[in-house]
Amino acid sequence: MRRTSSKARRRLRAWGPGLLLVSPSLILLGIFVYGFLGWNVRVSFTSWRGQTPVYDWVGTRNYSELFDNERFQIDVRNLAVFTFVFIGGSLLLGFLMAMLLEKGVRFEAFFRSVFLFPMAISFIATAIIWRWLLNNGSGESTAGLNKLFENIGLGFLFSDWHKTPSSWAIAAIALPAGWALSGYVMALFLAGLRAVPEELKEAARVDGAPERKVFWHVVRPMLLPVLMSAVVILAHISMKTFDLFYAIDQGNLRIDTPALYMWFTTFQPGFFARGATIATLLLFGIAAVIVPYIWWSVRTERRK
Amino acid sequence: MVGIRLEGVTKKYRGGVLAVRDVDLTVEPGEFMVLVGPSGCGKSTLLRMIAGLEEVSEGKVFIGDKDVTEELPQQRDVAMVFQSYALYPRMTVRRNMAFGLRMRRTPKADRERRVKEVADVLGLEHLLERRPGALSGGQRQRVAMGRAIVREPQAFLMDEPLSNLDAKLRVSMRSQLSLLHQRLNTTTVYVTHDQVEAMTLGRRVAVLRDGVLQQCDTPQTLFHKPVNLFVAAFIGSPSMNFVRATVAGGEVTFGDVRLPIQRDLGERPVILGVRPTGLTPANGNGWPTLEVRPEIIEELGDERFVIFELDAPRVDTEATRAAVDAQTADDALLLPEDRARFTVRLSADQPVSVGEPLTLAINPERLYFFDPESGAAL
Amino acid sequence: MRAVLKTGRYLALFLLVCFFLMPVYALLVTALKDPASVSVVRMWELPSTFSLENFRIVWPDLQEGFVNSALLAVPASLISAMLGAANGFVLSKWRFPGADFAFPLILFGMFIPYQAILIPMYRTMQSANLVGGLDGLIIVHVIYGLPITTLIFRSYFTGLSDEVIEAAKVDGAGMLRTFFYVALPIAPPAFAVALIWQFTSAWNDFLFGVLLTSREFWPITVALNNIAGGQTVPFNQAMASALLASLPTLLVYVLLGRFFMRGLMAGALKG
Repeated sequence: MRRTSSKARRRLRAWGPGLLLVSPSLILLGIFVYGFLGWNVRVSFTSWRGQTPVYDWVGTRNYSELFDNERFQIDVRNLAVFTFVFIGGSLLLGFLMAMLLEKGVRFEAFFRSVFLFPMAISFIATAIIWRWLLNNGSGESTAGLNKLFENIGLGFLFSDWHKTPSSWAIAAIALPAGWALSGYVMALFLAGLRAVPEELKEAARVDGAPERKVFWHVVRPMLLPVLMSAVVILAHISMKTFDLFYAIDQGNLRIDTPALYMWFTTFQPGFFARGATIATLLLFGIAAVIVPYIWWSVRTERRK
Repeated sequence: MVGIRLEGVTKKYRGGVLAVRDVDLTVEPGEFMVLVGPSGCGKSTLLRMIAGLEEVSEGKVFIGDKDVTEELPQQRDVAMVFQSYALYPRMTVRRNMAFGLRMRRTPKADRERRVKEVADVLGLEHLLERRPGALSGGQRQRVAMGRAIVREPQAFLMDEPLSNLDAKLRVSMRSQLSLLHQRLNTTTVYVTHDQVEAMTLGRRVAVLRDGVLQQCDTPQTLFHKPVNLFVAAFIGSPSMNFVRATVAGGEVTFGDVRLPIQRDLGERPVILGVRPTGLTPANGNGWPTLEVRPEIIEELGDERFVIFELDAPRVDTEATRAAVDAQTADDALLLPEDRARFTVRLSADQPVSVGEPLTLAINPERLYFFDPESGAAL
Repeated sequence: MRAVLKTGRYLALFLLVCFFLMPVYALLVTALKDPASVSVVRMWELPSTFSLENFRIVWPDLQEGFVNSALLAVPASLISAMLGAANGFVLSKWRFPGADFAFPLILFGMFIPYQAILIPMYRTMQSANLVGGLDGLIIVHVIYGLPITTLIFRSYFTGLSDEVIEAAKVDGAGMLRTFFYVALPIAPPAFAVALIWQFTSAWNDFLFGVLLTSREFWPITVALNNIAGGQTVPFNQAMASALLASLPTLLVYVLLGRFFMRGLMAGALKG
């Protein structure tokens, strides 16, 4: 009996101080992340609408009403379009930039800095700049990118961008988003490409494989984890993004997203229950990609 | 000067893996004890339990008369030298050495005096302001030793401190270590996987296998009186030769060889062992002889190793495999083998050539017998 | 053949640089033009006369925002870096039971959509009387910055060998002393990464800023959106303010980009 208690005391003395040191952070995060997430989910089951909180229980009514709501339906479709174009475009562009820089070019550091700098500025500034670039004036009042196209003889590329009546309008916003984030994708791919051991490629070359086969059979399989990381990160950013849309053209329904709708419905009419519902859906959407990703990252790290 | 005592020490990991099983060991005050064995035998785990870096699952650890089993490393008065030296990266050599004293709140004047003394003894005085990154491997090793010595602890614990040095440096550091121990006379527990190092450094050597203590004796006793097949195979380089044989009527038989033996072992199968030095060129002093055809001759300058095949099956047991760190039967072989091969150490004066018959005499007092099932010495 | 590929590569890179810098060009060129000669249609033309008038016009409105953002970003990044260092150390080198379970839980906090905590956070801050000024905002940034700073330091301290920690233990050092004497001295690079990342993150945040502060305490992003977000504002002023607002983080990026990169990689859980 005395044996086990002295063992227990020893263990406590061994790791107790560490736990004590991190406990403030753990408690704070417990409250501000998990506590609040739970609270938010709770609100999504109430009928709270207005400045005074109401904590009743309305079952899944908020959710069914939301799915029937026309604006939300547009939002979801918009988000899907945006995510698709944004991820696809950023992956392609980022991969291209990584491939161009991989073998080492002169001024590589310069190129990398240029491709990454958009990540250092706020989405608000990005939105302001690009709002003017995506100006859709025509004829005498052609401006922005359209004007540039005209000036360099590519006038046929003229577009109404996000003011176009089509449901692809939001794809135009993938342009500033991709501009801001492809550098990140590039950085990921560059690291991934450079992590392929040179010896593997050399062995393949010595065995007679031409360069493109070396790429396809040796390099490409090792890029799968990087691709996954990039997709997961971009997808979750795509769902979260608020600032960019808010500042570029708030009222435009064609570029409305769940994130924007959540903001407006919560803080303008005060329909907190609906806001919480949208937020919960966003949470689950992101968790669906992030939780497996974290689990997989931590597991591969443990195996190393 | 205090001794160290381990009573029934066991280490069990989650999942039931037993790294150390019921080890009883006593290190006399001032003794240099070596723990040796193949990788995974538990020697490092045992050392770390003495240091307090691993929890003891069962049993007790005593440093002097004090039961330190449940004490944290900070509370024990031992100093450790790690295989990778583990020097504090951003501290100068001086601060590395002084760290333990600072932690124990030794007054500054004492600290500085002791660091200076030890630095002088180890030849580090011109390196005191350098950082570990700017030192060579050998210098770092000396700083690691210095850090331990400065503490004037009750015991030194050394975990393969010479393994990361290259071969020649290792050999010269070995003798330096012996000299140091003679001067300081601190109780030392030293872990190594290299049995040559163990034999040359230890006053006593504890041989471990799979967490079980096989034998703890002086190097001479281990060499001449191994208690089982594993110890016999592990100690000695080149290792002992083994062959499966039968004992009957005062003779041991293997292949078409019959040798008279002096002990009465009844009638039974055995494993016969004879060291490479247990065979000599036929010298006409009445020893039983053996005619062999050398297959391989390894020249070493003033001696040579002659390797020949016997018409008898090769001994391949878990014990012999463990002794060479092999996991499976064919780990130690490039080509499959099923016949026994012996190695003999001969002087270079002895004329031998591959394929030419050679007559060897076997010293009947240098024959070892082991039970084929248990491996115990008979 | 090789020469063709090589020129092709540099050409492609050049075009990409144009794509990335084209907005910067538009920004500079517009901001430096005389207000009278600015027109959206003539956006791409170089200024006939260089003028800093636009900056002079917008600065008074941005000035407060600058100060507020500085008062926000500096303390927030310092505090969350220090907490992150402690957390990272314990999680990687002085583990407690459940540490490997706590870590992914902490990480998740880095990825959550802030919409999902917005309502509770707002109500809590209101009840605690922390809405309006910068205190609430700083607290929020510190807390939600903990996951990334913890991650950065944990990855970094993993590089410290376990044996060095054990040596410190045998030498008599407990957790705090090991942290101060052994871990922190090697931590400056990680501090740089964490500070720069958190600074940039706090400076560029909009959502928390617009929710938790009143006009007088608006951080720069909110002030910027207020000035330049309207559709009717003169576009030269919009560009000039966007430029000014982005200068500090751009400067940090240009001078200390190396650390910025490392923060990026850490954020993708790639060490």
